[in-house]
Amino acid sequence: MATNEAFYKRGKTAGVFPSLSSRRDEAYMNFIEDARNLLLHAQQKPIGEYSKLLLNNAGKSMEPDPSSTMEAVELLMKDNVLKTYYRIKRTLQESFWECTYNSLNMRKNDLLQALDDAEKIGPGSVTYDPSFSIPEYATSEIHIQPGGNANEPLSGLLYDYGSKVFMGGAADNDMFADMQASTVGVPKNNKVNRILDLGCSAGVTSSALKRIYPDAEVWGIDVSSHMVRYAHARAIEQNYDINFKQMLAEELNFDNNHFDIVVANLLFHEVPVSVSKKILSETLRVLRPGGSFTLIDFPGDKTRDVYTMFFGEMDAADNGEPFLPGFVRSNVEEIMEEVGFEMSPYDPSKFILAGRIGFKPNN
Amino acid sequence: MTDKKSNDLEDLGKLPGFKRGNPTYFENEVIDHLISITLELGAELWVVKDRLAHVEEILSEENEISLSSLRTGKPSDLLQEQLDKERKEIIKRIYGRLYSKYGGETVDEKSAI
Ligand SMILES: C[S@@+](CC[C@H](N)C(=O)[O-])C[C@H]1O[C@@H](n2cnc3c(N)ncnc32)[C@H](O)[C@@H]1O
Repeated sequence: MATNEAFYKRGKTAGVFPSLSSRRDEAYMNFIEDARNLLLHAQQKPIGEYSKLLLNNAGKSMEPDPSSTMEAVELLMKDNVLKTYYRIKRTLQESFWECTYNSLNMRKNDLLQALDDAEKIGPGSVTYDPSFSIPEYATSEIHIQPGGNANEPLSGLLYDYGSKVFMGGAADNDMFADMQASTVGVPKNNKVNRILDLGCSAGVTSSALKRIYPDAEVWGIDVSSHMVRYAHARAIEQNYDINFKQMLAEELNFDNNHFDIVVANLLFHEVPVSVSKKILSETLRVLRPGGSFTLIDFPGDKTRDVYTMFFGEMDAADNGEPFLPGFVRSNVEEIMEEVGFEMSPYDPSKFILAGRIGFKPNN
Repeated sequence: MTDKKSNDLEDLGKLPGFKRGNPTYFENEVIDHLISITLELGAELWVVKDRLAHVEEILSEENEISLSSLRTGKPSDLLQEQLDKERKEIIKRIYGRLYSKYGGETVDEKSAI
């Protein structure tokens, strides 16, 4: 597509991501991605065993006990190896945003122009409102991404390339979204005419759902206009007919009983628990009876041990996730049930490769 | 549902990473800086190695080189593959020792999932 030429001027990286502005920046990011894989992800198992040994030696029980997480933090963060691990994690995170941000900003005007141009064409559509009032919680710099999701005009591109590096290659070719989408609950009677993707960011899950249900009408909504603008441009490039709209998941502008499938992939840990409850009620409202809701996110604390809680807590802090600890402690599958979903069995050991699936009851 | 204390976001504020700007993980912040400096030097060294390999490839094939082909071009798939391999080896060799206390210097690469 001609309008997207500005994004893909240097072609694509890993099949789907617009290449950065220069070879230099790409080489730099290759280094960051490999360093993350080798010095962080690959270390999780051995460093986990080492940490558990430290906890054990200090006489700390591994039983799930969320209130003692802070004690574990205090104990483990006295250790120099662990301090090094978390220092490296933070530095690499800061470096990757700095590089991505500077690289994309070199072409800022062209990229913004390309977003404007993409708005005028299909397939699919994008709708947003420049005077939309963004709730304060949605303005924080989650993942320490410069400007956050809502306040940086290039946030969609930043987020997209960031997720490539952050996932260490697992998101290449939209592989990860495809894996996640394949776990989405199939509604009762199998009829799928309309799908809603809550907190769609770059629209990667919306597109993955479109691949599974090519004839369904797919909607992706996000609080950030910058995200839906980019999601639309990315969908055009892949020739997907998807409607993206700026909207709050807790105030859905859709009729009752409208959707067969609703999905929220990694949205819930980014909102306060009080907002989660509203989103769940709204989701139930817009789902048709027998429709499925799949909430893909981190497991709750009831299924975690002290070390996993420690790891999650550190991750929340180092990665700028203010609402993650509250989310983990809320054990959201219980709230889903309270709100009125008919729950399917949920396997927390699959981490973010399996969602909590609930159906709207038939009455 | 959960007790008050474990819901308290104040605890989170005490973790080093939560402070915006320049969080420190060591009592002596110089150590924090030194680790960041070595990573940054490693990344910049890699940028130079990547550029040199790209220059060599162009020169060996075309005998002519332009600044724009270096800035915005990409090396061949074959060279990219070699570079990907070399980069991982360098990172392991230079930084792996930081984790030798618990055997982490021998691990294989892994993505986030
Ligand atoms: C981690 S990202 C989601 C990733 C995306 N679902 C995917 O699969 O690639 C979270 C997104 O939720 C959006 N968001 C946060 N609060 C929201 C809300 N109340 N309503 C709609 N979107 C929201 C953010 O702007 C951000 O783009």
